[in-house]
Parts: sequence; C-alpha cells; structure tokens
Amino acid sequence: MIVELLLNGRRVEFEAGAGETLLEALRRDGGLRSVRATCGIGVCGACTVLLDGQPVSACLMLAPQAAGREVTTVEGLPQDDPVPGAFGEARAFQCGYCTPGMILTASSLLREEPHPSDEQVAEALGGNLCRCGCYPRILEAVRRAAA
Amino acid sequence: MSDPRVTGEARYAQDAERPGMWHAAFVRSPVPHGRVLAIDASAVSENVVVLTARDVADLGRYGCQLKDQTVLADPARHVGDVVAAVAAPSRAEARAAAAEVAVDYDELPAVFDPLAAAAAGAPLLHPSAAESANDPVSTGVRPLRGTNVCHRFRLLHGDVEAGFRDADVVVEESYRSAAAQHAPMEPHAALASWDGERLEVITGTQTPFNLRADMAGLFGVGEERIRVVARPMGGSFGAKTFTRLEALAACLARKTGRPVKAVLERDEEWLALNRHPAVIRVRIGATAAGDLTAKRLDCWVDTGAYADCGPSVATKLGYAGVGPYRIPNVRVDSLAIYTNLPPNGAFRGYGATQAVWASERTMDLLAERLDISPLELRRRNLLRDGDRFATGEVMHDVHFEDCLQAAAGAVGYEEDPRGKGLCVLLKGMQTPSRAAIAVERTPVGYVIRSASCEMGQGVRESLRLQGAALLGCEPGQIELPDPDTDSSPFDTRTTSSRSTYMMGRALREAVRDLELRDDGHGFGEVANPGGLDPDTGQGTASTHWHQGAAAAQLDVDDETGRVTVGHLHAAVYAGRVVDRAGAELQNEGSMIMGLGTALLEEVEYADGQVTNANLSDYGLPGSRDLPGRLTHELIEREGAEPHGLGETALPPVPAAIGNALQSLGLHLTELPMSAERVLDAVDARERAPVRHAEAAS
Repeated sequence: MIVELLLNGRRVEFEAGAGETLLEALRRDGGLRSVRATCGIGVCGACTVLLDGQPVSACLMLAPQAAGREVTTVEGLPQDDPVPGAFGEARAFQCGYCTPGMILTASSLLREEPHPSDEQVAEALGGNLCRCGCYPRILEAVRRAAA
Repeated sequence: MSDPRVTGEARYAQDAERPGMWHAAFVRSPVPHGRVLAIDASAVSENVVVLTARDVADLGRYGCQLKDQTVLADPARHVGDVVAAVAAPSRAEARAAAAEVAVDYDELPAVFDPLAAAAAGAPLLHPSAAESANDPVSTGVRPLRGTNVCHRFRLLHGDVEAGFRDADVVVEESYRSAAAQHAPMEPHAALASWDGERLEVITGTQTPFNLRADMAGLFGVGEERIRVVARPMGGSFGAKTFTRLEALAACLARKTGRPVKAVLERDEEWLALNRHPAVIRVRIGATAAGDLTAKRLDCWVDTGAYADCGPSVATKLGYAGVGPYRIPNVRVDSLAIYTNLPPNGAFRGYGATQAVWASERTMDLLAERLDISPLELRRRNLLRDGDRFATGEVMHDVHFEDCLQAAAGAVGYEEDPRGKGLCVLLKGMQTPSRAAIAVERTPVGYVIRSASCEMGQGVRESLRLQGAALLGCEPGQIELPDPDTDSSPFDTRTTSSRSTYMMGRALREAVRDLELRDDGHGFGEVANPGGLDPDTGQGTASTHWHQGAAAAQLDVDDETGRVTVGHLHAAVYAGRVVDRAGAELQNEGSMIMGLGTALLEEVEYADGQVTNANLSDYGLPGSRDLPGRLTHELIEREGAEPHGLGETALPPVPAAIGNALQSLGLHLTELPMSAERVLDAVDARERAPVRHAEAAS
C-alpha cells in the first residue's frame, strides 16, 4: 500500500508491505541508515524515531501505521537543537550505533522538560541501551544541552 | 565538523551494499548434537539458492587455532549450528526459505558441562582436529587426544607441594562464572563477492588478516586472492574476531554468482559466540605473617562446540589467575574443553575476567583466615619492579600498588572496610605480535594506512592524534582509510588492548622513515617476540602488562537480595595518555560492562538451548543500573609508553563487588551475583554467622 507521511519536514510517499515495519521501510533502498536495528523487540532504542514528537521504536511499528503522521529522525532535527552538539562536545559516544536514538530521545525529553533532574534523564533514557557504556557522558551531554 | 556518529552519517558493515546483491539466511540445528541424515529443500521457491554439504564438499576446514570447523556442520555440534544456508533477493524471502528447509537428524549424546565433558567416557565432539597454520595466536596448542580437551596449558613454577607444606594456612575454594553475550548493538554483518577467482569480503571484524588467512586456507588459494575490508563496527567486544559468518557468505556468493550479504538476527548472536563459562578451583597457602607460599589453580574453560580462540583464552586465564603477586611456588592446569554449547570466544577481558574473579575472591578468604586486612595482604605480596613473575619474566614499569592504593583511597577503605571490597589485576597483551603502518604525504596532509580496526574503542582517533603530534599537522589533515588487506600493512589483529601501543610505535617508525626518504612515503613496523611454553608456562607472557584495581562500596537489601552499588572506582595504569576522553570512555565502558558481569548477565541454557536469547530477558546494564558514583582514574608516569586500557577496568569489578559482599558476611562464588544468589548467601550467613573458608588438609 502507499503510505504518505511527513518525514523530516518533507511530505513523502512510499510503497510499503502491510507487514513491513517502519524501521525496514525507512532503511530500505539506501534510505535513512541512522535508524538501526538491534533488538527487534522495542527494548534497546537503537531504532528510535520521533512520531509526532514522541520517541517510538520503529522496529515495533508497522509502516502503514505512520500514515499521515510526522516522523523525525536525527537528520531531521532542527538546526538549533542543542542535543547533537552537546553529544559531540561531551564525546558521549564510542561506536555511535545507538547515538541517533539517544539524541532523539533526549531531544524529545528536553522539549517537554527543559530542565530535567538527573533522575528524569536516566529514566527517559532507560529504554536506550549503549553496550559501549557511554551513559555517564550521555547524561552529561543532556545536562549540557539543558543548560 | 560534526562527528558522523552524532549526525547519523556513520556507516557500518551492515550498511555495505553491492548492485545485485542477495541476502543470506541460515538453517540452524535444533538439536545439540546430531548427524545430518537428509536435507529436503523441495518446498523452497525456485528464486532461492540453497547451500548444502554437496556445495562445500571441495572445501577444507578452518579455525584460528584448531582447524575444527567446516562451512556447514555435520554433525551439528550445538543448537544453532548451521547445517544449510540460503540466499534470496530479499532478507524476508531468505528467512522464509530457510524456515522451509527440512532437516532430519540422528541425535547423538551431548554434554553441556566442561567438567563432565572432560571426564572419561564423555561423548566426543571432535575425535580429530589439526592445529591451524594461521598466524600464531598462542605459542602452541596441546589437545589431549581422545578427549574433549582441545588445549591444556600448564604453568609450573617452584615446588607447589613443598610450598603448601611451608604454609601455616591453606585456603581452597571453587568458583563459576557464567557465559555472557557480547551484545554489540550492531549485529554481525558481512558482504561477500567474487570477481573471477578473487574473493572480496566487506565485514565488521577485528581480525582482517586472520580472516584472510582462514579464507585462503578454506578455498585453497593464495592470500593475494582474498581481500578483506573492515568497516567500522557498531561495537564488538571480541565478538567480531576470526571467521564468523564470512565463510558462509562467501560460499553463498560462489554458488549464486552474486554478491551475498549476511546479517545476523539478534537471537542468532547468542548462537554465534559468547564468553567462556569457567570453573576455577583455587588453592592458596600463606605463612601466618601473610607471605604467600604456594598457589594452585585448576581451570575448566568451556569453549563450546568449536575451539575458536579457546586455547589462548585458557592460557591467558591460567596465568592471569596467578595474580600480580610474588609466589615462590605455583602450579596452573587450565583446560579448554569442547561442549555441545554454542562456541565461546574472545570477550573483553579475555579470560582475565573469570580468573581474577576466582583469584581475588580467594585473597579475601585468605585475609579473613589470617585475620589480616585484605588491603595489607595484597600490598605485602604485590609484584614490584624487577620481580620475576611465575612465568619467569622480569616485571618492568610495575604499578600494581599505585592502582590498588588509589582504589582503596577512593572508597575510604582504610578508614572503614565494611561494605567495601578491593581487587587488583594483571592482564597480558597479545604476545608475540607484529604491527606495521604506512604514511603517505599528500598535498593537503597525510594518509595513514593501518589495519587497526575501529569498533568504538577509538583507535582511529588515537592514531590520528599520535600522527598529528609526530607529523606536526592538524588531526583533521590526517586521512585514515578503513583497514583493507590489499592496501593496509600487516597487523596481527585489533585485540588485547594492543593497538595504541603497538601501532603507535609502528607509526613513530613510519614517520621517521618518511623523514629520511624523499618520495613522500614512510613505512614502520614493530614486532614483540615472546610467548609461553604451553607445557611449563615459562617464557614471556606479555611484553606489556595491563595493570589496574577496582574498589566497590555497596549495600544489600537482605529481604530481596538486591545489591545497590553506592560507589565504584577503578584505577588503571595508563603509562602516557594519548586521547584523554577516549581513555576515560574505555574505563567507564569497561566498568559498566564489569557491573553487568558482576550482577546481571548470564546466558542461560536448557539442554543446550539458549533460553534468554533476546535483550529483554538477557540483562544489559542501562542508564538506571549505574552505581551511585562511578569514578575512575588514569595513572600516568612521565616518559612512559602508552599502555593499552581498553579492557583493564572490567575484570576487577566482579571481585571488588564480591569482596564487598564478603565484608558483610556474604560469601558468593558464582557469577553473576544475582539477587537469588545473594539471598542464598544471606540464608547461609544466618545459618552460620561466622563463615571461615575451609582449611584444606
């Protein structure tokens, strides 16, 4: 079926199978490679996208469910979003595989809660795993972005 | 310039593509041990290629230390062993087709425990296997013929029985550590294609030259006919070493005549490679004053269905278990043993994690028996500059006491040791090894060609910074292409925290060469000879020692068994730091992974079947699992060489936590220290409030 949605601020249409996940559809045909598969069951956050501003796991969502909605990946964050720069300054990454999902989740948190406590940040990022163990610097990056 | 890892532009092995490529899926055995009687692929659609034993009958065996693997297994030796493979235009079609391949098995007896597998009469996994001719991974493999022992490492130093006779106190205990899963966020991925008689593999690997040698041996061609390109990895931690799915992708590409890409599903990661579970018995003797007189270690290291690098893990586990101590009499027997579990291989810590857990828990048992502070007992026996280790080598640039003292100080151990624990470790670097590198001047800067592979550990940044300092340019003027066996000079491999040190020294040589020549090219190479005699453990275990210590402060909820780590500190000898943020990230990441090993992580099996092969049931540490305080330090020395530190802060964490529990009367011998095991220890304390370690007769 044809799915029409607002992807990173642009109206796009693509053909999606009924059982195809949003993750597969976004990555297909050399598409958005910043959205990455890891756990396949919505617990690791590597495939996080913002759906109407809220973080969701693209591996759990069927592509047709995104019809008519606004989907944002790290490429589509506004230029003035402070989170990516703060991740760079804090060197809050090693392999970088989980980083886009971390950034999107943190960006969404800061839009809702511009000055979160450390507890709130850890809670918000609780669904984003980083096997390299960059959490101390990720938390520091979110603190910087909120400052 | 934003880092591509932040912008999302980073591309990994799984992103590699070629026009016309197909996708692989694997048919895996549901039985832990069974001969393949028949494979029926008649239900598979015509637009799918199925790879069966006939297609690989012309190929030899491979394996980095023992040639005990074939591309397709028969018999299947573990649940998940690949007995057939398919390639199809899409991944979904390939997966569907793999599910339609029906396989009949004649099930064979299986064994899942290393002690049972090493016992007489156990079902044999590999009645015969030849030593590999691959670039030496250790200095010799010693299989015990007619058994499941694929390697026996022994270390003999002094007279251990006399040492125990001289002891006033002898303590003995046995420990287990569970299998763990590396769980890199990016799964294993490889893309293979043939250009006539030449194979090209784009893959996420730490070992491009070992992989090239394995592929050349397998296909019976010269190494110049194999090209391996190592893309950045989305994490590895040892998982992406030696040959994983590259041989299967290459065979599918050969049969289809197309490029074929293989990417593992998440649950397949637990079937591909895990960390060696180990059983370790430690016996240690000391005088009443606390001088160590003898130590004996017996280690059963479960390497699963294939040896992989299990022999060298058993070796390194064996000598790491001696610990950074002066002990006049030592005997180590460390066995790498086949079982019908998925293969176990390199994992950050490389045997030291399991050995340090057992050895350093025993130091606290001994301290309790001697009624000496665990800190004082360690200080009294630590190796110092100029001492000989049990391998016979003289120790240089020794900083164990600095590390231990720093760790103890960070948690206020000397003021009040209750609820606190310490651990100190020694870990070797791959020895022998070689590293070479090439530098080329360009109009805008320099190109540095090195086979050091990036997996997030920051080796490219380390080389860029070292290069900029040596060449007098900006880091941004240095281009570092991906490792490519066609154009990168030889390197043993990117393992054992060796690259900043070894490749950095080679780079220094290359820049010197560049300055001497007038063609804009420079080449540098360094080689560290050494290695241990596998029958005596004598020789040079490591030309460069990783030294560190950890301290933990914690509380236990006696009702639930929940351990709350209030403060975790690691102190690591860094020599000279090249990339401070990168070095700190290695400490932090190692400590957090160590926390997972200590408290959370265990690959669980039922009759050889992994029962928690997903990231919901297998507990990786998340942001809410961090200790109240996580601190660490890098100990430097003026004029010192950089010391590798990619792993050093992991192995001491479990024992620091276990020893903190012991200070509360809780005696844990198995990893992970799950809430259930802590509750058992709480019950045991209530039954026998003062527990003393068993005195051996």
